Amino acid sequence: MKVLIKAFLAAVASLAIGLGVTERLLRDGGPFDVVKIGPWNIATRAGAADADPYTRASLERSGEIPLALGEGLQLIARDDDQGRTLDPRCSYSIGPRAPSARYWTLELVDPDGFPVDNPAQRNVFRSSEILREADGSFTIWVSAAAHSGNWLPIGAARAFALTLKLYDSPISATSGGIERTSAPKIAREACA
Amino acid sequence: MKIFRALGEWVFYGIAVAVLSALVHFVVVLAIPLVATRDAYSSLSDLATPGQTVALPRATPGVRRFPFLDPAVATAFCRYDLSNGPVRVRAPLGRAGLTSISLHTRRGAVFYALTDRAATRGVLEAVIVTTAQLRALVAADDEDNPSQDLRIVSPTVDGYAFRRVFSELPSLYDAAEEEAKTLACIAETPPK
Repeated sequence: MKVLIKAFLAAVASLAIGLGVTERLLRDGGPFDVVKIGPWNIATRAGAADADPYTRASLERSGEIPLALGEGLQLIARDDDQGRTLDPRCSYSIGPRAPSARYWTLELVDPDGFPVDNPAQRNVFRSSEILREADGSFTIWVSAAAHSGNWLPIGAARAFALTLKLYDSPISATSGGIERTSAPKIAREACA
Repeated sequence: MKIFRALGEWVFYGIAVAVLSALVHFVVVLAIPLVATRDAYSSLSDLATPGQTVALPRATPGVRRFPFLDPAVATAFCRYDLSNGPVRVRAPLGRAGLTSISLHTRRGAVFYALTDRAATRGVLEAVIVTTAQLRALVAADDEDNPSQDLRIVSPTVDGYAFRRVFSELPSLYDAAEEEAKTLACIAETPPK
């Protein structure tokens, strides 16, 4: 009897650990073919016909419609430059440059990749609409409280992620074409 | 002695849990594409019949269907079904903006993508075929007057064409959506 209980507990634990690990690994395109540039992750094979089973499972599970390699690249950040998880109680500055692309957009999304409700009704900044310095550099402020300049509100999010989409970009993630310095930095400024 | 036996039991259950967890993990990863019901193709199938063009609602808070869609990009799709012959995908360009078409299998993989840079005479166009249909088309081609069509072999019989139109400013989104909706999946008469 005692053995049966132990075996049952072991089975339950296995199921929980197995599912938990799977859930964690399938976020952001699985553990393979992901390139890291600073805090940004790129699932380089997302949507490719010969993608590995993790990448495929990740797409099928999320329901995401991937960007084709020829269309653009999607970078996802869940941590800041120091590796600390993005915290809605803190404010962040993002900049000063982005990799070369015809257009890019920066979005604030919840952990599942959906826009977050906020009073300012702003979920995205386009490269074609932001305020820039005279030298072309920019700063986008990510914070819960209103900020002057390019303010991307955190809104009601309890946890959030940032995505940077590079459209019609000459760089390819697979060749290591994105230099560390060209990806925008995510610097934590202050925490409430 | 009793301590050693207890320790041995712990080790045994530890290994059992580790092996079972790994098994659960691998089975789940491989099974997801087979059982997923929230994958992009299933969701798109609920919205339109083959050949019908439908614009996806703009990515806003509260719309939780397709994650990581860009709120700055208007999108539309049409499904194709090659069982009755090839399908021509056509997208006239409106404004001189960034737009692209990607061709997806029902399993989510992208097998071809075109951006507005590849447009001829203001139209993005491709004919989706199966391998057998391609052979028939090539056999029926007039040698002196070869077809100008871009023929793309689809790995699956059904799938979808997805169009993205970038809006440079928030006020241009509606115009971008109108342009996205000009995407069309037109059934071609099969070659004799």
